[in-house]
Amino acid sequence: MSEQLSYLGIPLSRPKVGFFELSSCEGCQLQLLNNEATLLDFLNLVEIVNFREGMSERADNYDIAFVEGSVTRKDEIARLTEIRKNAKILVALGSCACFGGVNQLKNRFRDLDWVKKEVYGDFPVETMEVHPLADFVQVDLEIFGCPIKKEEVERIVTDLIVGKAVRHPEYPVCMECKANENICLFELGEPCLGPVTRAGCDAWCTSNRRGCWGCRGPAEGANLKQLEEIMHTYGFSSETILDRLECFGGFASFAETLRAQAKKTPARRKKS
Amino acid sequence: MIFKVFKKQELARLYELLAVNVIVGPVGRGNDRHGKPLYDFDVVYDFDELALDYTQTVHSPKRFVLPYQETLSTFAVSRDAWEKHVDLNVYRPLVFFGMHACDINALNKLDLVLAQSAYPNPYYMGKRKNLFIIGIDCNPEPQCFCRSMGTDFAIHGFDLFLTDLGGKYFAEILSATAFGLLSQINCTDPGAKDHTLYKQATSGKNKHYTATVDTSDLTKILDLEFESKAWDYWGEKCLSCGTCANVCPTCYCYGVEEHVDLDLKHASKAKSLHSCNLIDFAKVAGGHNFRPKSASRLKYRYYHKHRGFVEAFEESLCVGCGRCGAACLADITPPAVIASVRGKE
Amino acid sequence: MQNKLHFIDILGKDTGAHRKEDPDSFEYTLPAEITSIYPLTATEKLYQIQIIDPNQRNRFTFKPGQFVMLELPGIGEAPFSISSSPVRHGDLELCIRAVGNFTNFLAKVERGTRVGITGPFGTSFPLEKMQGNDILLIGGGLGIVPLRSPLLAVLENRSRYGRVDIMYGAKTPAELLFTYQYEEWKRFDISLGITVDRADKGWKGRTGLITELLRERIAQTASLRENTYAIVCGPPVMFHFVCKMLTEAGLPMQKMFVSLERRMHCGRGKCCRCNIGSTYTCLDGPVFDYWSVMNLKEAI
Repeated sequence: MSEQLSYLGIPLSRPKVGFFELSSCEGCQLQLLNNEATLLDFLNLVEIVNFREGMSERADNYDIAFVEGSVTRKDEIARLTEIRKNAKILVALGSCACFGGVNQLKNRFRDLDWVKKEVYGDFPVETMEVHPLADFVQVDLEIFGCPIKKEEVERIVTDLIVGKAVRHPEYPVCMECKANENICLFELGEPCLGPVTRAGCDAWCTSNRRGCWGCRGPAEGANLKQLEEIMHTYGFSSETILDRLECFGGFASFAETLRAQAKKTPARRKKS
Repeated sequence: MIFKVFKKQELARLYELLAVNVIVGPVGRGNDRHGKPLYDFDVVYDFDELALDYTQTVHSPKRFVLPYQETLSTFAVSRDAWEKHVDLNVYRPLVFFGMHACDINALNKLDLVLAQSAYPNPYYMGKRKNLFIIGIDCNPEPQCFCRSMGTDFAIHGFDLFLTDLGGKYFAEILSATAFGLLSQINCTDPGAKDHTLYKQATSGKNKHYTATVDTSDLTKILDLEFESKAWDYWGEKCLSCGTCANVCPTCYCYGVEEHVDLDLKHASKAKSLHSCNLIDFAKVAGGHNFRPKSASRLKYRYYHKHRGFVEAFEESLCVGCGRCGAACLADITPPAVIASVRGKE
Repeated sequence: MQNKLHFIDILGKDTGAHRKEDPDSFEYTLPAEITSIYPLTATEKLYQIQIIDPNQRNRFTFKPGQFVMLELPGIGEAPFSISSSPVRHGDLELCIRAVGNFTNFLAKVERGTRVGITGPFGTSFPLEKMQGNDILLIGGGLGIVPLRSPLLAVLENRSRYGRVDIMYGAKTPAELLFTYQYEEWKRFDISLGITVDRADKGWKGRTGLITELLRERIAQTASLRENTYAIVCGPPVMFHFVCKMLTEAGLPMQKMFVSLERRMHCGRGKCCRCNIGSTYTCLDGPVFDYWSVMNLKEAI
């Protein structure tokens, strides 16, 4: 394990890595432990010093911090700031960390107290509006997806160690969906955000006949205006489009504009 | 050219003769939201799986010669040296049972650039040379404009071509292998009546085209209209999603990426088919993008297919199958784009 | 089983020649080694790369203006103009700026690293046709990289050419490449002009645009002699102005040669990345005469 890593004669350092979770399901971290076939090679590349899902020892001397989840409580801001201070590279792991994720759906409701009561009943917890990590600290790298794809994280970690720049696909999911020779879900009568969502998932959902919900956020130069037209042409309402665009938070700014244009109120909004 | 006719039920026997090989053909893929049947090409294991009366497959047969993703080479990397291993990813011949004329012509066009010009691509050639193709006639769909592109009939690029004469198939034989196969089933030389039926079938097909593209002088018109507003109009609609290129039987452009394996002892070089509509298609190291606007990328695609390729090979890189327009969610179709660039909206 | 189709192995008859007509040349990489690395500026380094096998090295021939693909496993493959003289065969010099993934990695490797070389690819400057004529070698910025190979070839065969003028300009003195060679190039039978757009403290040379150097050169002979050729390498905006000035001085467009940069990816005219219309920069270029460039949409 302590053998010096190198590639093509260039000595490489084995980074100390920590995994952390704010408000999330920890599903992204579990994904990493999911495939035993590559786990040993992965563990040989990095030295994990902090990983609640995988080990009990803890240390704070990490080079790379992978942070899963969004910020929904005040104490999480302090924790995140601390992680940022310790880490050389802070990675937002998964859609919650990148955009707020599913958690940010609650931001649609104006009356957060009502939400709290609906969810927690008579056992309220301290919670605030949901934020992505970048609202509080500098994020060096984003890994998109709900959940993230293990192969992608492994590739990114290898690239970081070897010294290659990490690049995400700039094109939308359609590209990968067609490469899987799927029938377009619009033709089958289902709505889909594939034409505007960043690829990299290998069309995971659409290959299984589930329309895309945009967990990876917008593709570069995503043509959202055209998507809106397409949705209407195929008979889907503005509410259907908004439901999807607002699901993971990646399309927040466009969804807001669209909602303002449509002058529609969210389905269950209460007076504040 | 040698012609034969045989009764329809003999086709199943022909299939059985070929069944010692891997067979690919058109199969049903359910119905679309209007109840219209959908088709695609896939490996078949039984004659009854074949949907030989298919309209048009959603995707082209391209992936059997040009996979969407393909590993070109792998590397074994040691401390101070490395070795490269090349695998063409072709191990056995493939029988294509039931290909329409447009798709046969598409392979012929791919041959021009991938097999018959400088630096022939061995990954393509290996697969292409190991294809045994049985063509089959078709009826034009609303999106088909192959007649405009001169690709409504296949002259070469197949082993056997079948035309439905009602109870019989009229077979056109282009290879010794195909001739040998037909000698094992009951078939006869066509008579005068078969000739008449064949001529009726082909001229009948011509009456059914609805989509057309005016290709006269198109190479020059594309140059003249390089700054046309029409490009901006279509560019604004374009999703830059690459669907058109992926379903196209003749789009072959690609990108290559190399990856270091997790064990730092191996690496691989993989190719993925790309599309010139993708936003980063013309981006160079350092970040400069030669075509940052979707209108310029869309224009480039038409420019390559209908001007550049014509200039290089005296024919267009489009067979008029209309798959790109049918698959485009923004409804960008070659007949409409070319008409608008010509100024006939 | 008589109907089992016969498998055709297209690489079956490997001739070992690896000509560009053969399918086996496509992924054929020559093992090579980086024998030395000289930093030229803050971002550019000169790599000496030697094809390891002596036979392959001697058999490797190229013409000035052509490029090779350089490969590092797992990192990538990228095209680079050859900066060395063709007499050196497979002892290549590549001047490389660290701008992208591949080149940034390359900036970190050390002497002795194994690389793969494929090529040479593309068109070249027609030096044979230029023999007996006056030659203008005009470079701007990184344009000196493709210009250096024809420049060295002309210097090595000086007697075959008429008057030779070298003009090279960069934005600042710090960005000038191959400064250590200017003394060598400054010969009695060569006119060498170096200029920078913006001088710094230590700069004693000329300040001003390359077009000013050219204007002076043209003024010396009132107009360019009929038997003049120009090789112009640099950013599009530069060769656009230079070629315009040369045209006004009476030089026909087919006597000016430029080297175009595009996103070359496969080097073999197959991936469409570098196309300008149907013109593959990697097959029909990178060297074009100015007339052909004028006929390409999007070229400048």
